[in-house]
Amino acid sequence: MHPILAFRGRLGPYLAAWVPLAGLLAGLLRIGGVTWLQAAILALPLAVVYAFMCLAAWYPCRSAPLSKASFAKVVVTQLAAAGLSAMLWLFLADTWVVFLEQFPAFAGAGERFPHLVAVLLAAGVVLYALAAALHYLLIGFEEARRAERTALELEVLAREAELRALRAQIDPHFLFNALNAVSSLITAEPAAARTMCLELGEFLRESLRLGGVATIPLAEELRLAERYLAVERVRFGARLRVEREVSDGATTCAVPPLMLQPLVENAVRHGIAHMVDGGVVRIAARCSGSRLHLTVENPVCPGSPEPHRAGLGLANVRKRLAALYGSEGTLDARVSEGAFRVEVMVPESRHPAQ
Amino acid sequence: MTVENPPEKLRVAIVDDEAPARTLAREYLAACGDVEVVAECTNGFEAVRAVEEVAPALLLLDVQMPGLSGFEVLELLGREVAVVFVTAYDEYALRAFEVHAVDYLLKPFPPERLEQALARARQRIGQPRDARLEKIAADARPPGAWLARVVAREGGRVHVIPTEALDVVEARDDYVCLRSEGREVLKQQTLTELAAQLDPARFVRVHRSFILNVGKIARIERYAKDSRLAVLKDGTKVPVSRAGYAALRPHLK
Repeated sequence: MHPILAFRGRLGPYLAAWVPLAGLLAGLLRIGGVTWLQAAILALPLAVVYAFMCLAAWYPCRSAPLSKASFAKVVVTQLAAAGLSAMLWLFLADTWVVFLEQFPAFAGAGERFPHLVAVLLAAGVVLYALAAALHYLLIGFEEARRAERTALELEVLAREAELRALRAQIDPHFLFNALNAVSSLITAEPAAARTMCLELGEFLRESLRLGGVATIPLAEELRLAERYLAVERVRFGARLRVEREVSDGATTCAVPPLMLQPLVENAVRHGIAHMVDGGVVRIAARCSGSRLHLTVENPVCPGSPEPHRAGLGLANVRKRLAALYGSEGTLDARVSEGAFRVEVMVPESRHPAQ
Repeated sequence: MTVENPPEKLRVAIVDDEAPARTLAREYLAACGDVEVVAECTNGFEAVRAVEEVAPALLLLDVQMPGLSGFEVLELLGREVAVVFVTAYDEYALRAFEVHAVDYLLKPFPPERLEQALARARQRIGQPRDARLEKIAADARPPGAWLARVVAREGGRVHVIPTEALDVVEARDDYVCLRSEGREVLKQQTLTELAAQLDPARFVRVHRSFILNVGKIARIERYAKDSRLAVLKDGTKVPVSRAGYAALRPHLK
């Protein structure tokens, strides 16, 4: 986005800043040997035209950004651009003078013009340099602002994940059913009831703790999903089956916390829960090509009335990935051959040893 | 000496896809007197079969179940059996009462709450059938959503027909005949009632007695001055009235 044209209220001050510059130019031309009236009539339109021409400084500024391009490249690019702009401007000035010469007030101005060439060229280069500096400044400003905004977004999303973890405590679909299951186990199988309370407690504690951490090793995320599944397995019994295929290298990869868990939760809630005979939730993780591939797959019931509901949790994960990794973090969800498959790819990075 | 007949036991079927939930219901019911658990079902299909075979008077019915939701079970059985919903979701409560469920228990619930529900059920079972029950099917749909599947039953057998597989629906007295993939299934419902539940972007009432799935039309033939025939992709011919053709026209390219 152009740092001046794309923002309302910037073009005005920019043009206003050119008024004293136009005056200065007129002064230089006066020194170059024309009368004040001639200088003013020459300088004013030339200044206006050049003000707009200098807005094009954005292109060289963008192709040679201060933060990335080498110093030599910046200097060469900008010098070339400055020379080109000044020459073009000079050509326009020449045309303007030729045009003005037909008026009596400018009789003889054409003869003075060669004396003005040096002044105009120098002014053109300097003015362009000023404009380029201004563009660099504004671009830098925008970048800083964008960086700040991204940081803020990340923070908000991290907080959302934390909230999601908190919400798991009061989730009617999960907690009420789990409590009901505990309630039924108490008389018949007190030991199992106790185990379930412990699993539930651990799951809640872990999700709360992980909400506040930046990244965790995949192994920990898998363990959390395992606790969740342990609770759900009491409810669904043999209907809920889990297959895991995790390569050794993958377990130490760093992942954002609570990224896998919502995918597993979706697979149970919108997949297995709708299958009369249940099915298998497949969790796979492997590293290849410096990326970590995570997939969660579950069977779907063809006439399932609410496949769209799964979309909400996925959208959240996708947003977090985009904020953390940009285009490097992707989430792909698709239904094929009666299975719902979510694949997450993030750059492979090792979690620092603990 | 007169011997008093023991009061008749309330015949209850438990329908829940989660084993612990069934265990709990059975345990609570065992503590209530005058109750007999006549069936335990793990899904809606089993519930329909159980009602056909052992005729319970009351269903303890979970809402979220695979294959057939609690509301669909009620739609199929509501005329024959009283229903108490048992669920972890409170957002269905209003709908439950609209479809005349006897009660609505939120998991986890205390035994007293179940006793209360049983007392209500006994009262309800003694009363003559509510005429409004006829409206059950129309209300059993989540608000703001069109039917994704139509359920019908023949005795203990349940047919689940995804609406996209539905070709044509024909009115036959008190029933509608659902035609899909070359088969016909009867369902006790009026055509007007069903029409109100189907997505109007895909289903058009082309005739007093017919609703048509627009996506299944192969061509329209002129039949007489004011009537036409819709020929479906499988060759079925369906009469289209003048008003029906006017309604259908915007859907034809």
